[in-house]
Amino acid sequence: MTIYGSSKDTPKDLLKRLVACLAGSVVLAIMWGPQEGTTTDYYYELRQSVLQPRIVVFLGLGVLLFLAITFWPRVRPYLSRPGVLPLFSGTLAVVAGQTLMRWYDPLGDGKFGTIANAVSQTSGLSPVTKAFFGWLAWVQLLVVLALAGTAIVTGRRVLAWISFGLSLVAGVIAWYAHHDVVQRAGGIDHSLGYAAVVVGYLALAVGSVVVARSEENLANTRDVVNRVMGWRPGFPIVVLGLLLGLLSFVTAAWYAPNTRNAKLNDLHGLFSGTGTPSLALQYMQWLGWVLLIVSVALSGAATYLRSRPLGWAAAAVGFVASAMTLWTMYQFSDTAAGAEPAAGGTWQNLGAGGWMACAAFLLLAGAGYVAATTRVTPSMRKAASTEGGSYLTAPGAVRTLLFVAIAFALFYPPTATPFWQKVLVSEIGIYVLLAIGLNVVVGWAGLLDLGFIAFYAIGSYTTAYLTGSLPVHPPDWLIMSPLLAIPFAIGICLLAGLALGAPTLRLRGDYLAIVTLGFGEIIRIFANNADGITNGSRGTAVDPSRGVDNVPNPSIHIGPIHIQWGLNQLQYWYLLLVLIIIVVIAFRRLENSRIGRSWAAIREDEVAAQATGINTFRIKLLAFAIGASTSGLAGVFFASQVGFFNPDNFLLANSILVVAYVVFGGMGSLPGAMAGAALLTWLPEFLKDQVPGPDRQMWIGAVVLLMMIFRPAGLIPAKRRKIELQGHLDEASSAETVAVPASGGMGSTV
Amino acid sequence: MTDFMNYLVLGLTRGSMYALIALGYTLVYGVLQLINFAHSEVFMSGAFGSYLVIHAIVGDGSGTPSWAVPFIIVIGIVSGAITAAGIAWVLERVAYRPLRRRGAPKLAFLISAIGASFFLAQLFGKMFNRLSSNAFPEFFDINNVAFTVLGADVRVIQLVIIVAAIVMMIGLDRLVSVTKLGRSIRATSEDAPTAALMGIDIDKTISRTFVIGGLLGGAAGFLFGLTFSFGNTMGFIPGVKAFAAAVLGGIGNIRGAMIGGLLLGVVENMVLFVGLDAKWTDVVAFVVLVLVLMFRPTGILGERLGRAA
Repeated sequence: MTIYGSSKDTPKDLLKRLVACLAGSVVLAIMWGPQEGTTTDYYYELRQSVLQPRIVVFLGLGVLLFLAITFWPRVRPYLSRPGVLPLFSGTLAVVAGQTLMRWYDPLGDGKFGTIANAVSQTSGLSPVTKAFFGWLAWVQLLVVLALAGTAIVTGRRVLAWISFGLSLVAGVIAWYAHHDVVQRAGGIDHSLGYAAVVVGYLALAVGSVVVARSEENLANTRDVVNRVMGWRPGFPIVVLGLLLGLLSFVTAAWYAPNTRNAKLNDLHGLFSGTGTPSLALQYMQWLGWVLLIVSVALSGAATYLRSRPLGWAAAAVGFVASAMTLWTMYQFSDTAAGAEPAAGGTWQNLGAGGWMACAAFLLLAGAGYVAATTRVTPSMRKAASTEGGSYLTAPGAVRTLLFVAIAFALFYPPTATPFWQKVLVSEIGIYVLLAIGLNVVVGWAGLLDLGFIAFYAIGSYTTAYLTGSLPVHPPDWLIMSPLLAIPFAIGICLLAGLALGAPTLRLRGDYLAIVTLGFGEIIRIFANNADGITNGSRGTAVDPSRGVDNVPNPSIHIGPIHIQWGLNQLQYWYLLLVLIIIVVIAFRRLENSRIGRSWAAIREDEVAAQATGINTFRIKLLAFAIGASTSGLAGVFFASQVGFFNPDNFLLANSILVVAYVVFGGMGSLPGAMAGAALLTWLPEFLKDQVPGPDRQMWIGAVVLLMMIFRPAGLIPAKRRKIELQGHLDEASSAETVAVPASGGMGSTV
Repeated sequence: MTDFMNYLVLGLTRGSMYALIALGYTLVYGVLQLINFAHSEVFMSGAFGSYLVIHAIVGDGSGTPSWAVPFIIVIGIVSGAITAAGIAWVLERVAYRPLRRRGAPKLAFLISAIGASFFLAQLFGKMFNRLSSNAFPEFFDINNVAFTVLGADVRVIQLVIIVAAIVMMIGLDRLVSVTKLGRSIRATSEDAPTAALMGIDIDKTISRTFVIGGLLGGAAGFLFGLTFSFGNTMGFIPGVKAFAAAVLGGIGNIRGAMIGGLLLGVVENMVLFVGLDAKWTDVVAFVVLVLVLMFRPTGILGERLGRAA
C-alpha cells in the first residue's frame, strides 16, 4: 500500500502538510485553553494548554486532519454514496442540539449538560428520561451512525433498515425525555434543542431509508432529492410547513403564564365560557386542525401536481389560516389579560406554538403561491431528473427561500427571549440595514469606504437635533417626531456624501479608503470634542441644565391611527423590517437599472466604462450618496430606538466591521450582504454562551479568515462574481479581481 | 524656539516609529497592491516577543550594569524583529497565499487580513494578557537626557529610536536597491507576470517581502513598547496612523513611507506647539492627509516601489 494520497504528493509535500496540521492543532489547543494568567506569569496559558496531556487530543486531531487530506481521494467515493448527505446533516443537527442548544429555558443556561445534571438529581422522572439524559442520548446516536456507516460500506441492506427503525425510536425517546422534563418542571419553555434532535433523527431515518432502498451505488441523495423536488417548485416548504404545523399543534405551548404550558388541545378547556369569541374556541377545538389538513392537502397537491388553480386556492387558504391563527391568539390572550391583569397584557404569555402555526400556514400559502406562479416546462423537468440539476438552481427556488425567510422574520422574534429580541433589533437588524447601504458603495460600485459609520453618526445626530435633544435647539416650529426626521436625515447624509465624494472620488481605490477612514474619524472626534453642539462624550444623556434629553421614541399619529413605540423590542423589529423591505425593494430595482449596470461596468474596468460613455465620476458619486443616505436612515432608527447614544457608538472599528460583513456575505450580492451582516452580528451574541467573553473576537476572526480562504467570493456570491471566479469570462480583463497571479499558474509552467 | 525644538524632537521620534511600521504597509503594497490590515498585529507581536526575551534576561531590570544596556537594546530589537517576521511569514502563508491561488477579489484579501488581525490580537491577549499597560522592565532610565540641541532635550530613548530607525531605513534602502532580493522585489512590484517570466520566484519574493516588513514592524513594536506601554490591542491606532503615513508618502514607495511617517509624526506634535488642544491632533493629521492627497493624488513621492526606490 502506498502512503501517498495522490500520485502528485512528494514526501516534502507530505511533511509540509503534516507540520501545518500539527501547528494548526497546537493553535487550536491554545484557542481552546484556559484564560490568561496573572500579569506577572506570562506563560501560564501556554503551559496550561500546551504542556498538559490534553495536547495529545489536539495533536491527534491534527493527525486525523492530515490523514483525511492525504487519503481524501480514497475516502471521497464513499461520501457520494446514497444516503450520506442526510446522515451527515442529521448527525450535525443532533450534535448541535445536544451541545449548543437549549433544552429547558428556566434552568440556568438551559443546555443539555445542565439539564442532564439536574435530571440525575431529580427523582420521579421516568427511567427512559433518566437514561436518555444519563447516557442514552449519545449512545443511540453512535449506534445509529455505526449501523448506517457499516451498511454504506458493506452494502448490507438489513443493517440500514435496522438503523432506520432505531433512528425513529431514538427521535421519539428524545422528544419524550424533553416532554417529561417540561411536564415535571413547568415554566415558560421556548427551547428548541429537542426539536433539532428530533429533526436530526428524522434526517438520519431518511438517510437510512435511502441507503436501504438505493439500487445502485452511483446515485446519491442529492439526485434523489432533485428528482422529486427539483421540478416541483415549492414542494420543500410544504414539507417544512407540515412539520412545523404538527410540532406546533401537538407539542408546543400556546399559552404559558407562570408555571403552565398549555398546548392547543388544553386551550379549549381553559377558555370555554370565559367570553372568548366562539370562533376562536372552535379554532382551538377543531378548526385549527381542519385548516392545517386542508392547507397541507391543497399545497401538497398544488406543488406535486404543479396545478395553477390549486396553487392559488392553497395560497388563499394558507393566508386566511395564518390570519385566523393570529386573530385567535389575540382573542384568547386578550381574554386572559382581562381576567388576570397582573399576569400581563394582550399578546403576553403566549408560547411558541401559535407563532409556529402562523409560520407554518404562511409557508403553506407560500408553497401554493410559488406553485401557481412558476412555470415548469418539460425541459426543466428533464434537466432536474437527470444529473445536472440542483434544487437550488431550480425554478422557483429563490422565491421558496424568500418565503422561509419572511416566515422566520415575521414569526420567530415573538418566540425569542427578550435578550435575543434586543440583539435582533439593535445588532442584527441595524447592521443588516447598514450592510445593504454599504453594498451599494463597495459591492456594486467597487469603492472601498472605510468611513461608512460617519453617515450613520450624521443621521443619528440630525435626528437628535431635529427632536430637540442636543444643546443646540432648532426653532420650536421645527422640532418634530423622529420618524418625520427620516427625510431630513437622508437629505443631510446625501449632501454629506456628495461633499465628501466630490473632492475624493477622483482618487484611486486605496487612497479613497484612507480618506474615508479619515473622514469617519474626523466626524467622530468632532462629535466628541464639539461640546457646545453635540454635548461631547456625554451624548444625549438627560441633562436639563444644558437642554439635553434622550431622543424620543418614534410614534405615528395620523387621523385615527396612533402608534407609540416604547420599550417592547418587537415593535422596533417590525418597524425595522418595514424599513429594510422598502430599501431592499428599491435597491433591487436599482441593481438592474441603467445605473446599476453602470456601477458594474465601473467596478470591472473604469477606463472601458468611460469609453462607453458613462460619466464615471457622477455615477460613482451617486453610489456614494445613496450608500450614505441608507446609513443615515439607519442612524435615525438607531437614535430613536436607543434614546441615548454618544460618539463611542461610531467607532472606526464599526466601519471596518460593516465592510467585513458585506465582503463576508458576498460582495455585490444583496442577499449575501444581508446574510453576512446577520450571521456575523449573531455570532458574537451566540458565542456569549459558548466561550469566555473576551475570546469571542478571536473566534470571529478565525471564522472570517477561514471563510475568505475557502470561499473568497463570500457566503452567497453575486452571480456576476461567480462567473468570474469560475473563469467563464476572461479573468485577466478585470484588474480589480486579480491581484497578482500565484506562481502556481505562472511559475510552475516556466 | 526651545518649545518648537522639543516638539520637533518628539515628532521625529514618533514619526520614526510610524515610518518603520509604514514601511511594512508600503512593501506589501508594492508587491501585492494590497493593504495588509494585519500589519498592526505584526507590530504588536514584536513587542510581546521582545518582552519575553528581555524579561528572561534582565528580570525586573534592577541592577543591570550600564555597559550591558546597549546590548540588551539590540537584543530587544532583534528578538522583536524576529518574532514579528515569523508572524508575518505565517500570515502570508495562511491569509494571503490561499486567496492568491484562487484568484480571489481584492477585497477578500482585505477581509481575510482583518479576520487575521482580530484573531491575532485576541490570541495574544489570551496567551499573555489583555492589559493595555504592560511595561518593559526598566533596565535603564529612558528619560535621561542624552544631549541638548538648540535648547531641546534629546532623551536616551528618543536617541535610540531615531538612530535605530535611521540605521534600519538605510539598510532597507540598500537592500532594495542593491541586492538580488531587492531587485526581485522591485521587479515583482513593477510587473509580476513579467517578473515570473524572467525567472523570479514570485511566491518566494512575496513571502520575503512580508518577512522584511515584519522585521521592521517588530523592531518598531519593541521601541514603541519601551517608550510607552504595550498590550494586545496596541497595534490598531499606530497601524492606522502608519497606513495614513504610507499613503501620505505615496503608497508602494519606500522613501515615501519614510518621509510620510516622519511628516505625520511632526505634524501631530506641531498641533500641540501651535496651541491646539491635544484632542484635535487626529483631526489635524487627517485633514493634512486629505489636503495633500487633494493636490497630489498619488502622495508626496508618487506611487511605485519599482520606479522611485
